[in-house]
Amino acid sequence: MTARLFVLDVPENVPIVEIARGYPGVSLEKVGPYFVLAAESNVTVDRRSTGVRHAVWYSWVGGLEGWQIEQWDRDAFRLVPR
Amino acid sequence: MSELSAKHLVSGVDHAAFPTFDPVATVRFYRDTLGFPVVHSICAAGWGPDDHPDFIHFFFDIGNDDRIAFFYYFGLEAPETSRGKGDVYARFGSDTPEFFVRSRHIALHVNSEEHLLEYRRRLDASDWPVEMQIQHETIESIYTHDPNGYFFEITRALRPVTPQEDLDANLTIDALVDILQQPGASMDALLVRKAELIMERAENWQDEQEAERELIPSPEGPVRR
Amino acid sequence: MSQTRIGLVVPSSNTTVETEMPAILGRHESAEFTFHASRMRMAKVSPAQLAAMNAQRERCIIELGDARPDVILYACLVAIMASGIGEHRRVESLVAEQLATGGSSAVVRSSAGALVEAINALGVKRIALVTPYMRPLAEQVVGYLEAEGFEVVDWRALEVEDNYEVGRIPGERVLDAARSLDLSKANALIISACVQMPSLDLVDAAEQEFGIPVLSAATAGAYSILRSAGLPVDIPGAGSLLRADSTRPESNSPTTIEGAI
Repeated sequence: MTARLFVLDVPENVPIVEIARGYPGVSLEKVGPYFVLAAESNVTVDRRSTGVRHAVWYSWVGGLEGWQIEQWDRDAFRLVPR
Repeated sequence: MSELSAKHLVSGVDHAAFPTFDPVATVRFYRDTLGFPVVHSICAAGWGPDDHPDFIHFFFDIGNDDRIAFFYYFGLEAPETSRGKGDVYARFGSDTPEFFVRSRHIALHVNSEEHLLEYRRRLDASDWPVEMQIQHETIESIYTHDPNGYFFEITRALRPVTPQEDLDANLTIDALVDILQQPGASMDALLVRKAELIMERAENWQDEQEAERELIPSPEGPVRR
Repeated sequence: MSQTRIGLVVPSSNTTVETEMPAILGRHESAEFTFHASRMRMAKVSPAQLAAMNAQRERCIIELGDARPDVILYACLVAIMASGIGEHRRVESLVAEQLATGGSSAVVRSSAGALVEAINALGVKRIALVTPYMRPLAEQVVGYLEAEGFEVVDWRALEVEDNYEVGRIPGERVLDAARSLDLSKANALIISACVQMPSLDLVDAAEQEFGIPVLSAATAGAYSILRSAGLPVDIPGAGSLLRADSTRPESNSPTTIEGAI
């Protein structure tokens, strides 16, 4: 089953979405003002690759469907199927 | 039901009031250091059922016709502040987490980086220098403690708030209220509930925004203020 | 019988308020009053001394507040009217805030506001007045009342600057000044627009003589105190204003002028 992650479309979040959409198996759509990142399997976003500030890194996630957050720290954000 | 019943009617902070045991330092901080004019004062006694001492209630202008106010009670003994955490109004044990102690604070707004840095300059030249300067997600703030121990912030917006952030805030709060009906609420539960609300409401919201934009063209696009 | 405590804020050289106000309210049939004064230093009715006096207001309110009054009357009309249009509302609201902040339930009135209230209660617009003030201050009083929506058709200034001496002005001199007014267009006469210039004994006689309602700063103050305390306005011998709620037949009051406006 496809799992989805919702991210509000504001300028601060765009670098993270840009990195994540480039991962294999990840697709990007829009629902209203939200980006929707969808994939069938685990996804890991490396914090350093996004270049965002601390406050953005810890507030960019808007909603979870079919996934749960396994890791969200200074190194990475990791989603696994629920 | 009147025509006012559904309207948002208030217009800012008339005043936020705090007790002080050191009005001299309070005046030095707010008036002489920050340059907030004294705009009002009341000399009164405890005439009501609460037999409190004679007191002065005084107000500083914090811009926008809003005010920060203090009460000074003659002869009222100041709390012991050499141990623990907090301010002269509320004290906590030494083991209380700092984030909790700091969670209650006042933040004043400035319109530019230049203005923020001017207040930083004033504070740094005083007995109450800036303790932190932090860029958050969309704001930048300086922090200090006033002479009463009240945690004091001056902040500026790094960019205007967008309409979708208001939608997002409402979805977050609706999700929070929903999940708190059940025991064991967590951030995970919130994000799952919020995803459901996004699917329910975000598309419609976008359509409404676009319909509105067609009615009122704006050079700034979706930016509201 | 109910007892109402009245706080009076008076200029230090005033000798009339504490005499006339108890004399008027002492005639009330259904209420008793006690009077408690606090004084603001002022000898000469000059703009500088009036401003200095106003700065003592907060201290006076503190002193009166301790006596838990029901009503406080700020009893210097010219100090307020010389400070700018609408000043009585500003002063009354500052005093009200001061009292409320300290938890006092006292209500506050000023003789300046009371005069406006009383003229409005009579339902008249065209007035004439006698003042003891120097001409420039008297002109400010006239302008203040005109800004409140009244037409001052004629007025006199007796030009007594020493406030103690204002309290010694003979009634005959006040009446003579009133007689010299052109009252042909006036619907009411303010025989003393000053709480220090004695006039209580003149009010009823002047109503007889001139045939229009006659009031003074003192009778207006008494009227406002009674209204603010929720007491009936029914006091004999001090003009028709203070018989507003009287149910007795009035043989000696001037015919109502409301139809003539």
